[in-house]
Amino acid sequence: MIKGDIFFNLSVRSVRLNFLRSMLAAIGIVIGVVAIASMGMLGTNMQLEVKDQLSSSANTIVISSDTVRMGPPGFTPSSSTASGVTRSELTKITSVVGSNGTVIPIYSTNGEFTISSVAGRGSIYGIDPDDISKFLSLNKSYGNGTMDLGVNEVLVGSTIAEEFNLKVGSRIKIGSFSSSSRPELRIAGVLNPRGTVADGVSTDNGIVVNSKWYTNQYGGENEWSQVNVIVNNVDNINDIESALDAKINTNAKTPAVRITDATSQLETETATLSTETEFLEAIGAIALLVAAVSIFNVMMMSVSERIQEIGILLSIGTEKGEVRRMFIYEAFILGLLGAGIGGISSVIIGYSVVEAMIGTTAYFFQPSSILYVPAAMLVGVVVCVISGVYPAWRASNMDPIDALRSE
Amino acid sequence: MTDTPLIQLVDVTKTYHLESGDFTALDHVSLEIGENEFIAIMGPSGSGKSTMMNQLGILDVPTSGKLYISGRDVAEMSALERTHMRRDAIGYIFQKFYLIPLLTAYENVEYPLILKFKKRDTTGKAAALLGQVGIDGDMSAHRPTQLSGGQQQRVAIARALVNDPKILLCDEPTGNLDSKTGYQIMDILCGLHRDGKTVILVTHDPKIAEYAHRTIRLVDGRIAKS
Repeated sequence: MIKGDIFFNLSVRSVRLNFLRSMLAAIGIVIGVVAIASMGMLGTNMQLEVKDQLSSSANTIVISSDTVRMGPPGFTPSSSTASGVTRSELTKITSVVGSNGTVIPIYSTNGEFTISSVAGRGSIYGIDPDDISKFLSLNKSYGNGTMDLGVNEVLVGSTIAEEFNLKVGSRIKIGSFSSSSRPELRIAGVLNPRGTVADGVSTDNGIVVNSKWYTNQYGGENEWSQVNVIVNNVDNINDIESALDAKINTNAKTPAVRITDATSQLETETATLSTETEFLEAIGAIALLVAAVSIFNVMMMSVSERIQEIGILLSIGTEKGEVRRMFIYEAFILGLLGAGIGGISSVIIGYSVVEAMIGTTAYFFQPSSILYVPAAMLVGVVVCVISGVYPAWRASNMDPIDALRSE
Repeated sequence: MTDTPLIQLVDVTKTYHLESGDFTALDHVSLEIGENEFIAIMGPSGSGKSTMMNQLGILDVPTSGKLYISGRDVAEMSALERTHMRRDAIGYIFQKFYLIPLLTAYENVEYPLILKFKKRDTTGKAAALLGQVGIDGDMSAHRPTQLSGGQQQRVAIARALVNDPKILLCDEPTGNLDSKTGYQIMDILCGLHRDGKTVILVTHDPKIAEYAHRTIRLVDGRIAKS
């Protein structure tokens, strides 16, 4: 239909006649489309990756004390009686969960350590050796380790192992550099990378010790930093949470514990990433705005170069609407050119950017990511057509006599 | 001949508002042109010839007075109606040919048909007309810039005829051509007049004006002799 339209043919020929100028203007659209699409895809891929990592611990409820622990590790503020999840709260948790899941009490703090006289810092988790294998796994490439931790043994996270070039059997000293006693522990195993997790146990840059050793070193026995509940059926997670809340948080005004899961953390993370994505897309939108100005400029040039032609068209009986259509088509063709090249470039550039910045392209072709390409192309074409509206209106409203006379 | 003339000017005045003051290009002109007349409009430059052509071609409307074409008052028509009348009732032949540079000779002739019927020509009318004015199929695939002046004017005549207008408005049709080609073009116009067209010719060449059956001489926006 549109192809047989003589006004469309005229527009195509005009673009072809001024090919260089048209292409330069279309490049603006290319840049805008690429900017919007690849920024959007980058943000979406980040969100999808975080979502995936968090949902690997979607079956975990994290119960932590509502009182924030202040001061150095092991220090119990006198003003507060509760600095963690207490023994009686743990008993309640265990009774509520029953056979519907696994309860894992966890001590944790931040601390310094030394490995072959190089100092480091990271999270230290104290977990009962029986519980460790329930949610952590070993990376055997560092040597066949064990998760059945002895009192003087430790598991290290993947990042630490990589940075300090550790293997099973290496030694690690734990404690502040200035501290007089820095106990030395044997590395019993290296943990697999966990990435961003929702269960509060980020072991990548941390170490896991036997809970007995932990309470010996830091005190605070029976005051766990958090208690994780791994539910057997993820569909029951909300019911269990409600039951826990009802049983432990008897005083609604000052709840004793905070109960969270991956969903709530996911919301926070996703909100942050969405804001970042929007910011990146705004930069892309500015690129498109600049492109719109250049398209407008090219269209105005096209109109003023073809004044006499417009005069001929109008004088021999072309309707104003038909002249308008001819110039809108021209803008549309420029938009189509720019969006087409931009769309192809977006896929190539977006793929490279996602690979470079996120490290994986596993999510690249998911609809919520790849759909940014057609969406950005559509925006590019629409921006072009809008830029062509005024020049087209101007062309169609010329006085045919004046237009014919112009040289 | 019918009672209503094809074209009727009643006391038509056209005034242009310029910075240097008002300029009256046509001053109370009254004129009747019947069907199948062959009229030459002559006069020195600035006498109002072009203004007269613009009025007759309804590219413009009178400041005062009435202009009727086929009995219709041009000033009372909407812009769209005037556009359609230009498309259907009048054929324009210009001194500078004014072909559409982006279209081939054939497409230039086909163009008014597309304007009228909103689709490409399938009747072969455009090609037939090009043949009549002596443009062969090979030449009709060329763009205007690839044609000589005489060829361009032939294409322009074919374009003017394609919608079967009653009126042919020719503004110095031979002005940009050598005399031999000019006479060939005039022969074509005479033939069209014989076929029943009303031909209105603006020229300052008395030899060309001799082809007409009636000559209107304009001086300072008034008809000096009819």
